[in-house]
Amino acid sequence: MSIGASNPEYVNARVRARRAALFADEDYRKLIRMGPSGIARFMEETEYEREINALGARFSGVDLIEYALNRNLAKHFHDLLDWSEGRLYDLIARYLRKFDVWNVKTIIRGIYTETSSDEVQNDLIRAGEIDDSTIDRLLEVDTIEDAIETLNATMFYEPLLEAFDTYEQTGALVPLENALDRAFYENLLADLGRPQEGPEALYVEFLEAEIDFRNARNALRLARTGADLDPAAYYIDGGVLFTESELSRLVTDYDELVSHIADSRRYGDTLSSALTQLREAESLIQFEHALEAALLEYADTLSSSYPVSVSAVLSYILAKEREVENIRAIARGREVGLSESEIEDELVIL
Amino acid sequence: MAKDVKPTRKELMQIEDRIDLSERGHGTLEKKRDGLIMEFMDILDQAQDVRGELSEDYERAQKTINMARAMEGDVAVRGAAAALQEHPEITTESKNIMGVVVPQIESSKVTKSLDQRGYGIMGTSARIDEAAEAYEDLLQSIILAAEVETAMKKMLREIETTKRRVNALEFKLLPELYENKEFIEQKLEEQEREEIFRLKKIKEKKEAEEEAEKAEAEAEAEAAAVEEPVASD
Repeated sequence: MSIGASNPEYVNARVRARRAALFADEDYRKLIRMGPSGIARFMEETEYEREINALGARFSGVDLIEYALNRNLAKHFHDLLDWSEGRLYDLIARYLRKFDVWNVKTIIRGIYTETSSDEVQNDLIRAGEIDDSTIDRLLEVDTIEDAIETLNATMFYEPLLEAFDTYEQTGALVPLENALDRAFYENLLADLGRPQEGPEALYVEFLEAEIDFRNARNALRLARTGADLDPAAYYIDGGVLFTESELSRLVTDYDELVSHIADSRRYGDTLSSALTQLREAESLIQFEHALEAALLEYADTLSSSYPVSVSAVLSYILAKEREVENIRAIARGREVGLSESEIEDELVIL
Repeated sequence: MAKDVKPTRKELMQIEDRIDLSERGHGTLEKKRDGLIMEFMDILDQAQDVRGELSEDYERAQKTINMARAMEGDVAVRGAAAALQEHPEITTESKNIMGVVVPQIESSKVTKSLDQRGYGIMGTSARIDEAAEAYEDLLQSIILAAEVETAMKKMLREIETTKRRVNALEFKLLPELYENKEFIEQKLEEQEREEIFRLKKIKEKKEAEEEAEKAEAEAEAEAAAVEEPVASD
């Protein structure tokens, strides 16, 4: 399979060094026993030193940790886009555009609630494809309409423009946020086809799982809420678990929906225990936790199967995201007084 | 008090009227107090249940928001909250429980469906949903608790006032009126006795005077009878 004029060897060599700097399991075990200030001090002696020092004067406690984690994540992912070229760049950027979605949503919410651009800027994670100057211009606009116009060179422009009328009618951000998410997910697999083998096959399989799990989560949430929502509006094309009509039908019957996921050849075994819990429990949280763990299992296979390919880079991206989520979960968990076992059981995915 | 009372029949009749009125008022207030206490006990039971539910809802809300903040990050939770379009609205009316005006709080747009919360469904998780739901439940409980506890406090204040009135009638006003009544009755009886005694004395004096006059007349008549034969000689 051709991956165009890309440079996976170079990028993977750099990624291997970055991967080696990730926290090991024993680091998490140490962190779980520390308080927020201890965690910040620990981070100061690691990979996160620069961000902790840079933000230390403006933030403190867990906020400092969270903003330092976000900034570090943005730096690493930005580097990946800087290093990669051609087809590899395209494949990495597809996934990292989720941070563009995050940033645009955050800015739109800021405009909606008339929050100052300084405050909004703190919450951005500049790890996506949209360049800094566009983001800075977005931060300066006063209306959502102007924000959409500023994005006219991105893939989000058309979907946002289409959703804008509904936003104007309802006054709610839901159509704009859904349009952004849909644009991201539908672009993930665009033009990739269904390769049967090689690194792109694994990459596609992972992205399909991501879409399937997102569809499953949304379907379960819609089934539970009982609200009169059109399930088709929340269906993301590209997965293998549901077709649009299947999803629309299953949302009205919760038990059948769970059975459908359980009967899936691809995910049934991986999610069986979580699905059993889901039938009995009130909450979807444990099931979502199981979905996240299942995605990470995929990620682990990605790195080992094709070490010099986009799969290995994606595996690193997921491992880095997992690290940031785990450290944030530990720090926030400790801040709000969760016990070590609660943090280990419910938050940290090793 | 008794010293300031005029011991007259008119005053006695007025006091008797006041006693009658106070006794009737005392009975009515006692009934009102007992009724209020019964209503209060019902509201107290309700308030205890509501308080219990409020504590449970608060703990659940804190737990879910803590979990959401830990797993999704503070920024994501704050962002989802910022997307909220329609804020809850509260209107207050009043209702009357045994003369006590208590508030009746009506709320709208507190519990929202998934699409009414403002944030996009595709990019968020069940943790955010559950935190939002838990806080909606908590807000409902707070509104209910505000209604029930305000009613309870107003009832309690009214019970206290009624109790004070009942006690004032029972232990202050009525005893004083009874005392005054007794005082006037005693005074009137005493006056009556004095009057009888005085009349008796007057009668005795009059009788004595009549006796004396009679004796004097008899003596004069005797003297006249003795002088008459001497003159004829």
